[in-house]
Amino acid sequence: MNDIIENANTSDDSLLIGGVHLLSRLFLGTGKFSSHEIVPLVLEASGTQVVTMALRRIDWKNPQENILNYLPKNTILLPNTSGARTADEAVRIARLAQAAGCGNWVKIEVVQDQRYLLPDNWETLRATEQLVKEGFVVLPYMSPDLSAAKRLQDAGAAAIMPLGAPIGSNRGLQTKELIRILIEEISVPIIVDAGIGRPSEAAEAMEMGAAAVLVNTAIATAGDPVLMAQAFRLAVAAGRLGYLAGPGERRVTAEASSPLTGFLQEV
Amino acid sequence: MQIVVNGEAQEISRECTVFQLLQDQAVTLIAAVVELNGTILKQEHWPSTLLQAGDRLEILVFMGGG
Repeated sequence: MNDIIENANTSDDSLLIGGVHLLSRLFLGTGKFSSHEIVPLVLEASGTQVVTMALRRIDWKNPQENILNYLPKNTILLPNTSGARTADEAVRIARLAQAAGCGNWVKIEVVQDQRYLLPDNWETLRATEQLVKEGFVVLPYMSPDLSAAKRLQDAGAAAIMPLGAPIGSNRGLQTKELIRILIEEISVPIIVDAGIGRPSEAAEAMEMGAAAVLVNTAIATAGDPVLMAQAFRLAVAAGRLGYLAGPGERRVTAEASSPLTGFLQEV
Repeated sequence: MQIVVNGEAQEISRECTVFQLLQDQAVTLIAAVVELNGTILKQEHWPSTLLQAGDRLEILVFMGGG
């Protein structure tokens, strides 16, 4: 089992983002876990190197310990701009996160729609343009749309993160065909973010040629989050290997796997 | 005097620095980020920044998120 993971994690197949060669293609969100204490266990089981978190007003009455205290030192921090409804708000949050010592990676998340939490691609593009100018490594969360993805790429996004299904819905790759087109047409890495609910769906995204997946709810709300993190690690590695191996052609009719000569009834 | 912290009015004593305010709230140990009147206030300036009446302060911390 470990050999499989190692094979998929060789340095030959690293994912280059923001000048960093990532060996793990599984990004992890830290929301919704039952306790902070479980987070480092989940991170270890997942093998992840990139972790997202959110910036919020402190709760005076119930000051929680900072999530950063539970992340291994070598983790790449990817603060999100959740809560932003406009590009300006996203830029403000990104600057605050940087000032808090989070490095210069940022996941742009601009949402006005509160029912499906679908991102606003237009505001996301504006925020991306600004933050790239300021030297951030910008990973925009977006609705899978080719024109928007091209504009984000032209604006200097380090990767594009289309949603598979609404955040936290665990509904898998509902936008599969649109993501497939992005993978085909966009040259920066495509990271499927949001909606992935099962390890098999992560494997499917990787098999299609996604550069990585970002998973949170599927692991955080699993019966055993640590075991699920391990399952996702294997699924992402397996999907990646499947992609690299080059799947065979699909056919409508059968093509025998066994030789069609030398049957017993032949005379 | 009154200032606004995270959107809520709060009464503080005069001659209070940002650092003292955070200390009073026992959050100095938490890696917080502070915005004073819309401008980020670096941690090294917390002890030397005196709060003025009407100041708007945002105190933010990192939480779990996706």
